[in-house]
Amino acid sequence: MTKLNTLFSRLLTVASPLLAACAPMVPTAPVAFTPFVGEAVQTKVLELRAPLELRLPTGYSRVLAMGSRWQAVGRVPQGTVYRPMNSVFSIEGRQVHEAYLVIDHTALTGFYLPGEARFSPLDPSVQLPTGAFQ
Amino acid sequence: MKRTFLKLSAAAACLAVLAGCASGVKYQDMASAMPSLKANQGRVYFFRSSSMVGAAIQPDIRLNGEVVGTSKPGGFFFVDRPAGSYSASTSTETEKSASFALQAGETKYLRTSPSFGLMVGRILVELETPEKAKAELPSLSYTGSLPSTSASK
Repeated sequence: MTKLNTLFSRLLTVASPLLAACAPMVPTAPVAFTPFVGEAVQTKVLELRAPLELRLPTGYSRVLAMGSRWQAVGRVPQGTVYRPMNSVFSIEGRQVHEAYLVIDHTALTGFYLPGEARFSPLDPSVQLPTGAFQ
Repeated sequence: MKRTFLKLSAAAACLAVLAGCASGVKYQDMASAMPSLKANQGRVYFFRSSSMVGAAIQPDIRLNGEVVGTSKPGGFFFVDRPAGSYSASTSTETEKSASFALQAGETKYLRTSPSFGLMVGRILVELETPEKAKAELPSLSYTGSLPSTSASK
């Protein structure tokens, strides 16, 4: 039985990178993005108080770093769009996509993909912990 | 005799791999001579860590379908492009890509790295944070030509 477990474990180790090649595409849909202009961009900044791990629909996970700062840059129908300040954030499936957070009140509803002008939903949306941002 | 042959084979394999590694000017030696960005343009750096793993896999890197350079271990290069939407890709047994937006005056960093697929290796392309990229760039060698410009998507 132990031998079988060892064999299975080794098979998994070998298969993991191969399975990554079969990762699903990131689900996306076209979206209308309305950018903020002037003062609205400057004033709406969120700072994450603790790390936040996100599980993506593609099976990948991402961690929003503690202390990371996010600036409101516009709106989509699913919420306000926040771009990382002095950093970059991406989501991953079969391909990699730069991503901004989309937050509606206290829920992360998904991601705005600025390189494609598309929205990638989180289903269900992720309820942000109370006081996650300051 | 067999042992000598094995040693020679290993040395030949190492030489073959090393020959494929980047050997141009180091980033730190050319940083002060980098051309400044033109108005309405952003800069995209492509880089790859120096590693023997997958060193023989060196595909072209495309930006919006145009070949802009090659993914070489220990190498970097950059291109300046108008603000807009871009997709960077590498192609081996399968195509891997990263989409991103480039703003005027902005610098984006894209890391390429080897991974292994069903038949042959592949080169992934992903967005890297400025912090990590800037820490790695000084040890890398320039593998590009003079930056060119072209229209965005």
